[in-house]
Amino acid sequence: MTLTDDELVARSISGDAESFNQLILRWERPIYALAYRVIGREEDARDVCQETFLRAFRGLPGFKGQAKFSSWLYRIALNLCRDWIRRQRRAPVMQMPEGVDPGELVADRGPVESIEELVSRRQLSGVVEEAMALLPEEQRTAIILKEYHGMTFQEIADMQGCPLSTVKTRLYQGLTVLRRYLEKNGQMSPQLVKRS
Amino acid sequence: MNDMFTCGDHDALVSYLYDECDPQQRRAISAHVAICAACASEVAALTATREQLALWSPPDALLGFKIVSEEPAARSNVLRPPRWWRQPLPAWAQAAAAVLIFGTGMTLGALRNVAVRGPEGSAPLSSSALQVAAVASSATPATIKDLAALEQRLRGEMSQIRAVSAPGRQSATSAQTVPNGPVGATDAQVFARVRQMIDDSEQRQQRELALRTAALVRDFDAQRNDDIARIERTIGQMDGTTGAEVAQQRQVLNYLMRVSQRGQ
Repeated sequence: MTLTDDELVARSISGDAESFNQLILRWERPIYALAYRVIGREEDARDVCQETFLRAFRGLPGFKGQAKFSSWLYRIALNLCRDWIRRQRRAPVMQMPEGVDPGELVADRGPVESIEELVSRRQLSGVVEEAMALLPEEQRTAIILKEYHGMTFQEIADMQGCPLSTVKTRLYQGLTVLRRYLEKNGQMSPQLVKRS
Repeated sequence: MNDMFTCGDHDALVSYLYDECDPQQRRAISAHVAICAACASEVAALTATREQLALWSPPDALLGFKIVSEEPAARSNVLRPPRWWRQPLPAWAQAAAAVLIFGTGMTLGALRNVAVRGPEGSAPLSSSALQVAAVASSATPATIKDLAALEQRLRGEMSQIRAVSAPGRQSATSAQTVPNGPVGATDAQVFARVRQMIDDSEQRQQRELALRTAALVRDFDAQRNDDIARIERTIGQMDGTTGAEVAQQRQVLNYLMRVSQRGQ
């Protein structure tokens, strides 16, 4: 019989570490995915994921069930991601994906080809990731929570601590930037879009 | 939310895009998009962008985090001074312990020497001779008995002599004592016999001791020869095993050589 999150949480609070391990097993992939998409680095995302569950475990006695356990986890993870971004002290838009050498990119750069275009040519599959890296943190997080974690506008608003309308604005602005970037890098055909 | 849609209302478009609006609003937006090319294009572009976003997946990572019991870790992380019985002893305590152990050993050794000491008055055996003495000690009680019997006999003879040499009875017994000679000569004989018996006893002891020592040496030699034979057998077996392994490796090498030559 599969226990619900609430049941596992109750057991964990009463001292059953194995129940908490089941919660980890259930949520570590989504939390890791969230962390990776927000901060864009595999190792750091794993660290954030681990720290999220550690903090959750330590904070279990204070978890009164006022929100879903998953929402609580997401909030912890997002706070950790924000801390990580602040520590980096650099704009995430300038961050290169792992495995890409900026020096090599500049050396290969043609006369009319931008660095962004070169990245998209060499790493076609990673173009979305690069586009996401262009977004401000709030827009990126809103899109990630909506697109990849299926949260409602209200849940995102609660998570980000902002009004519902702000969430919609962030989503629209973020999607618009992404759309332009993707069109520019040949991932989407402007003509086709217009025709449809 | 009203059922009217204003062209350019991006928040409403986003709600429509994610299907998070009430049915009335959805109908109103659908009706507007059907007649407005700009809004239709916007919705199509955003939908296509969302499709592209679906391509992005994070790399696989080895996760498998687990909460383990904190208790042992916490114990090991806490820096506590070691317990008194785990602390190293100071130099004076170590010296005292050494003296105590040495004294105990000496006492035990002395007690063992007393235990294997021979008949009263004889020299104590050295510790190196303990084993031999232990074996030979079985002969000691018989010697004591002999000596006791000898003493008894001597006392009897001496009392007889005293009785013979007593006044009034000297003439009557003179005939008997003549063959034995004068009283002084009889004492000398007695002492000579005593010395003879003591010498005999010592010789018996020495013989017994020599026999036991010889038996001990013979047993020791037999055991030693047996051990040497066993060691040689083991070494021989090891040599055989190693030789077999070397032969096997040679066979493998030869096979590889043949195979490689065939390939060329």
